[in-house]
Amino acid sequence: MRKTLRLSLLLIAGLSTGAAHAQMSNASEIVEAANIASYYAGDDGRSAARMTIVDGDGSRQRRQFTLLRQDVADGGDQRYLVVFSRPADIRGTVFRVEKHVGESDDRWLYLPALDLINRIAAGDKRTSFVGSHFYYEDISGRGTEADRHTLIETTDDHYIIESTPKDPDNVAFARYRTRIDRDTLLPMRTEYQREDGEVYRRMVVAEVETIDGYPTGTEVRMEDLDTGGYTLTQFRFSDYDIGLPSRIFSERSLRNPPRDWLRRE
Amino acid sequence: MALVIAGSSLTSVSAQSGDDGWSDDGWGDDPWAREQTGWQWYGFVEGAVAPRLQDDPAVDDDYTVAEARVQIEGERQLGDYTATIKADAWLDGVEEGGRGDLREANLAGRLTPQTDIRFGRQIITWGTGDLVFLNDLFPKDYVAFFSGRGDEYLKAPTDAVKLSWFGDVNVDVVWMPRATPNRFITGERLSFFSREAGRRVAAPPQIDPRERDQVGGDSEFALRMYQTIDGIEYAGYAYHGYDKQPSARDPDTGRAYFPRLTSFGASVRGPLLGGIANLETAYYHGEDDNGRDPDRPNDEWRWLGGYEHEPFSDLTLGWQYSLEWIQDHDELLDALTNEQRRYAPDEYRHLLTNRVTWQGQRQNLTLSLFTFYSPSDADYYLRPRARYRFSDRLTGTAGVNLFGGQDDWTFHTQLEDNSNTYLRLRYNF
Repeated sequence: MRKTLRLSLLLIAGLSTGAAHAQMSNASEIVEAANIASYYAGDDGRSAARMTIVDGDGSRQRRQFTLLRQDVADGGDQRYLVVFSRPADIRGTVFRVEKHVGESDDRWLYLPALDLINRIAAGDKRTSFVGSHFYYEDISGRGTEADRHTLIETTDDHYIIESTPKDPDNVAFARYRTRIDRDTLLPMRTEYQREDGEVYRRMVVAEVETIDGYPTGTEVRMEDLDTGGYTLTQFRFSDYDIGLPSRIFSERSLRNPPRDWLRRE
Repeated sequence: MALVIAGSSLTSVSAQSGDDGWSDDGWGDDPWAREQTGWQWYGFVEGAVAPRLQDDPAVDDDYTVAEARVQIEGERQLGDYTATIKADAWLDGVEEGGRGDLREANLAGRLTPQTDIRFGRQIITWGTGDLVFLNDLFPKDYVAFFSGRGDEYLKAPTDAVKLSWFGDVNVDVVWMPRATPNRFITGERLSFFSREAGRRVAAPPQIDPRERDQVGGDSEFALRMYQTIDGIEYAGYAYHGYDKQPSARDPDTGRAYFPRLTSFGASVRGPLLGGIANLETAYYHGEDDNGRDPDRPNDEWRWLGGYEHEPFSDLTLGWQYSLEWIQDHDELLDALTNEQRRYAPDEYRHLLTNRVTWQGQRQNLTLSLFTFYSPSDADYYLRPRARYRFSDRLTGTAGVNLFGGQDDWTFHTQLEDNSNTYLRLRYNF
């Protein structure tokens, strides 16, 4: 399904094979393709992740979790299960999301000390994900429909896209620029600007590996240029298309995480 | 715009030691190493003090909490099962001496592909309320909650077998072979209002109800059936056991006991106008079903409606209204002596709660205020709190438990002299 979509995008772009640089000129198509490449690799996926959160004053915090994802439809709804293993006060916390494109996500959080399942109001997706510099939106994707996209430059290796929010009151940025790799269609660098053009937040993909045929950002840094703080996220032990059953994305997994599916291959 | 939910494949699971400046990490081991086998140990040490905000004429102690606590938690995989042990030990400056509490000791896992079991001492929670419980009739520790210990101590452990079946409708069945009551106010740490004495009292003598600890004979059962349909969570509940509070009195001996309690209820929770709305009801069938025995609780019908939303970034507001409706109120009043009638509960007890939570500094700072206010009892309970996460290991919490109201005998006003401010510092390891 996904490959077909990718191929048809490439064909639309006037290419007969996907081997060479893609040559697209329509900003929306490029952004859609980048969205698919970033968030919809395979029909499902598992990865171990760890974050180092560094404050402007140099103090560090850690987060470690395993992430399970299943696509309901490519470019559409998804299911997530995030199981935290470190640090000690967050260990055992499980986060479950039913992502809905175009409407509010359903989110649940399990707190093991109280055996409590909290339902979380949809709220703002541009708030810190577990205390890191990444937002929820960075983790699960910002809807491509939320912004207007313009292709401002095509270099030998990259497309440069500028995006402006359709609803500027809801976001802190005036615009952001994304540098998308023409080979992998992965966004390699995203810079969020204020009205005067000052860049205050930057995401950089530092490492890419091809896993199960899917180019994957395995080291991603999010910088807060105002404070000098940043969060480095690393992904390891990833697998795609492992055949996750839909039923594991359920309340059962909050109290009793599906160990068979969390286990590294 | 894009962070990839995916990772990297190291074809071998070899540990990546000392890579990318992670070697100085505070994990104390290599976090990318193969999954742990054998026992893994965690825990914290915590110091907590909670001075009373006023003298309590009934209790000869300026503190509701003064303790140094250590918690050890062990976890281990045994095939498809997980064994968990969690135990607290602390030096208690209020009760003067060492104390211990085994909070969890259980085995959990998959019995069949469709059935999970958790067997042993555990914490069990269900229902939709926020610090208000209707169908959750598992034991609570209100002494800990009111006196300034951490929120996780509100739930007391219970010895139980919990079977969870997952199908078109999910079913939880809990069997508690012996009744576990709430850790209720006995007068040892907190004072309370005594209807017999007509004033606030404390231990000695402490409340010493007749135990319900006969294994098998004093069994309790709890049932939940639930399912989520299109993002809306539906649940039905039943409970057959004993009241968690010693709410009845043996007329011959005058001794308090835990009366029989059977309840049925239902709840629904789902998204509404960008927030989360919940509605829950429970019917409590008490021991006294005609209302003529003032020593035993009446039937009650309870209702709860709640709404939580995030009007601004990092600010969450929660609202609840709950109603406790005594079913045979006229008969209850008729059965009471004139002297006792003034202390009788209203037919309708209304309770409003509000929660304001603000998170700042990338969630390292949490400021919150939880308010209980009962217009019918004319009393209140305020819980302002500040929590700061200095690091992954160190967390500090400061707050207040403030009780007050009009009549000494209502639920919150009776605790007025226990109002306290607390400070807790916890180091995780």
